[in-house]
Amino acid sequence: MTDDDLVFKALADPTRRFLLDRLFERDGRTLTELESEIEMTRFGVMKHLRVLEDAHLVVARREGREKLHFLNPVPIRLVHDRWIDKYTEHRVAALAALKTELEETA
Amino acid sequence: MTTMTAQATQVYQLFIKATPEAIWDAITKPEFTIRYYHGARIENTPERHLGLGPNGEVWGDSPTLEYDPPRRLVHGWQSLYNPEFADEPSSRVTWEIEPQEGGYCLLTVTHDQLDGSPKTAESVSGTGWMMVLSGLKTLLETGDVLDPDRA
Repeated sequence: MTDDDLVFKALADPTRRFLLDRLFERDGRTLTELESEIEMTRFGVMKHLRVLEDAHLVVARREGREKLHFLNPVPIRLVHDRWIDKYTEHRVAALAALKTELEETA
Repeated sequence: MTTMTAQATQVYQLFIKATPEAIWDAITKPEFTIRYYHGARIENTPERHLGLGPNGEVWGDSPTLEYDPPRRLVHGWQSLYNPEFADEPSSRVTWEIEPQEGGYCLLTVTHDQLDGSPKTAESVSGTGWMMVLSGLKTLLETGDVLDPDRA
């Protein structure tokens, strides 16, 4: 799988998006903290975090005795640059051309 | 983005198809940083991290804390680029470069010790670091400048 595939796969699950949103609110959380916010076994949350880590959407860092999970926004930015920008740019360009056309004929 | 408070520790990670040496040069030499880093000329020496704006104004001037080319660079951060929060306490930026398979490196940037610097934290979060890092990736992988208006 390419990096993009891993990101899309990771985002294609409501639990994983929920975990990302929790980290967005407050970053650098332990598994125990994340687990307390969700109706799921510790093992289930770990599995989801692993998928997020594989896609580099979450980076785990050891601080003292704790393993903290951080949201890494860069892959989403790159997906945005690569996929979203391309299509919205096209649409904006079409609208700009339409505007020029209409204003010239007005 | 409405109620979010910027975080005291921020972690950014991305793959770049380039050698560790090329990445090291791109983050430590002003002739490279001017092309992707909001137009700043940044020089990292074993002693200092010095960032200058387009007109020579000082945007950053902090001690280098670790200097281990081409793997690890740690330097202080003071937001001299904005008078509103130039007097916030110094924070810390760590750059880690780890070679991967296929000619890629994993670059991890950690900006921490931001607890007493909420305005700086806000200013570098969101698109702040991401513009810099996606610009760095584009420069190294294609030789292009991502945002020519800023360079």
